[in-house]
Amino acid sequence: MIVNFTTAAIVAIACWALGSLLSIIARHTPALKLPGFILSFGGSLVMAGFIAFYWLLLDRPPLRTLGETRLWYAALIPLVGFLVEYRWKIEWLKYYCMALAAFFLGINLLHPEVFDKTLMPALQSPWFIPHVIVYMVGYVLLAASSVTALHNVSLQLRHKEDNAGESVSHYLALLGFVFLSFGLIFGALWAKEAWGHYWTWDPKETWAFLSWLAYLGYLHAWRYKIDSAKLQWYLALSFVVLLVCWFGVNYLPSAQNSVHTYSQS
Amino acid sequence: MVVHSRRLFQTPWEFRESALFTAVAVIAGFAVQYALSGHGVAMPHLPVNAFVLALFALLILSIGLGFREAQAIKWFGGIPLGLCLIFAIALLSLIGGVVPQVEVAPGSLTALLGLNRIFSSWPFALAILLFLGNLGLSLSWRLVPLRLKNLQFILFHAGFWIALSCAIFGSPDLQRFVVPIEKGKVSNLGYTMESETPQPLPFSIFLHDFSLEEYPPQLLLYDPHSGIIFDERSKAAVLIRKGITASWSGLDVQVLDYLPYALPGKNGVPEPADRKAGIPFAKIRIILAKTAPREEWITTGSPMVDTRDAQAGSLYLGIRPGTPKAFRSTVTISSERGEQTKATLEVNHPVNFDGWKFYQMGYDQKAGRWSQVSVIEVIRDPWLPAVYLGFFMIMAGNLLFFWNGVKRTEGAS
Repeated sequence: MIVNFTTAAIVAIACWALGSLLSIIARHTPALKLPGFILSFGGSLVMAGFIAFYWLLLDRPPLRTLGETRLWYAALIPLVGFLVEYRWKIEWLKYYCMALAAFFLGINLLHPEVFDKTLMPALQSPWFIPHVIVYMVGYVLLAASSVTALHNVSLQLRHKEDNAGESVSHYLALLGFVFLSFGLIFGALWAKEAWGHYWTWDPKETWAFLSWLAYLGYLHAWRYKIDSAKLQWYLALSFVVLLVCWFGVNYLPSAQNSVHTYSQS
Repeated sequence: MVVHSRRLFQTPWEFRESALFTAVAVIAGFAVQYALSGHGVAMPHLPVNAFVLALFALLILSIGLGFREAQAIKWFGGIPLGLCLIFAIALLSLIGGVVPQVEVAPGSLTALLGLNRIFSSWPFALAILLFLGNLGLSLSWRLVPLRLKNLQFILFHAGFWIALSCAIFGSPDLQRFVVPIEKGKVSNLGYTMESETPQPLPFSIFLHDFSLEEYPPQLLLYDPHSGIIFDERSKAAVLIRKGITASWSGLDVQVLDYLPYALPGKNGVPEPADRKAGIPFAKIRIILAKTAPREEWITTGSPMVDTRDAQAGSLYLGIRPGTPKAFRSTVTISSERGEQTKATLEVNHPVNFDGWKFYQMGYDQKAGRWSQVSVIEVIRDPWLPAVYLGFFMIMAGNLLFFWNGVKRTEGAS
């Protein structure tokens, strides 16, 4: 089973790498544009196929452990890059996205998780899939927003303005915030059914609330027409809070009693 | 040309005044907390809290509508103060997200400042109250006059106001009790987290049966001296099933037979038994390098039957009970007025009865499948419908936000 993951991950990374290479060459040789896209897109398809296969093998949605969420992330984030290219004709974001996807698969390759079919009763709920997938889509959009913002910051430092880039980071953050809100509320509705109360300030809840506040703050700052150049810094850094929420919480002193640590079960 | 930068407190107020005001409020909150030697905010129960909340809402609405042109009120309901308060709430939540929210020594600075109970501390309460004021004012200006184009703003902000205020003002009315019951017995006593003396509840619960389903047992290879468990070659958790194989370096194991419910029989061969009494048995073939293959029956054991493991060189192979897959209690709940209902309680499937929600919480974990006790949690939250109304308004606002956002991106491209 692990062999299959290694193969799938390497094939996906190879697709993204070759696809990126062809896309870069395609700047001079337009005929390569389509093969480049097909290869890059194929990388995500390979991951999507693997997730489906893994789901069948596990008899449960592969959404329980952090490693499993990274699979979804790796499959989804390049798609945001392709969408941005299609929508705003901005090409560079997809390279960052594919690199990020390869990075996340790399973590899984270096730290293979135990293949475990069990799913604790608290996770056996119709809320499980919508809650985690909505969050994954939110995280993917906000990661792309943060990458775009970082790119904008680096342009600023080199005294180049890019208004299109700033509007991309803004819209990605806006869409990401919407998904984050749904994830948060789905989580609360589920918690009421599983644990008896919709909000208990569990460390993961607290950090999810913090991430939500960070983007709530961003949207209001943007609405108040604070200098968009300064807000790129804010967007680039907000993602750090999200990463703490996603991976870091387990390592914090406050997490000793968290109900959200499933990976060490 | 001389550029006059705005001095502090010169109207219209903006970020600097807001930041200063917020900082003073938070510091004042901590000062109150310290002065009360760490005692958090005590809030009234129904109906007083509902009355206070209604009064608060009315006050904000009348101030917002009565003085909407006043500079100070404009500032109080504006984005700069809102942003500073969001920042303050985030900062206080950050404390709650890092400092463990558990009991600490009463005299310590952490306890005196309420850092270990930040979400019921004075600075947090003050920040939330000011935030509700700020949010409420901005809302009042969009509510009157009512316009369709403000629908998304109103749904999101009013939803947030309702959910937040009702969750906080309603928290004293949340009742949670844990009710442990033995099989075949009835109980109307509930325990809270705070006290060891049980309280009588307005209903009783009779436990007919408790049952627990497990995942198949797991096959393990371990060193009896060090206790180390070795990972199987493919790094998979080996759940027992007839016909599977597992391998470690120099060792291969085949599962020839698997009886999920059996009891020891003659000559060490187990015999199938009923679900209640039976325990898992597996017949395995052990293939060690340079030795003839051997076949053996092993079992997880139970409180009545000894565990049986198989030797493999200097190591041992054993099966351990699987993790719980589902557990449920069949109960009859009777109210004081004589109403009755029979129900099955299961994790993620609570049951409503007489304004209370009944949850399957736990069981005697040492006894596992043979637990004679089921732990039920009962919860009453009269404010839940209001909080949910807020949640659904936020989600509706969000859908519109998404829709408008997508539409606007089309305009931007």
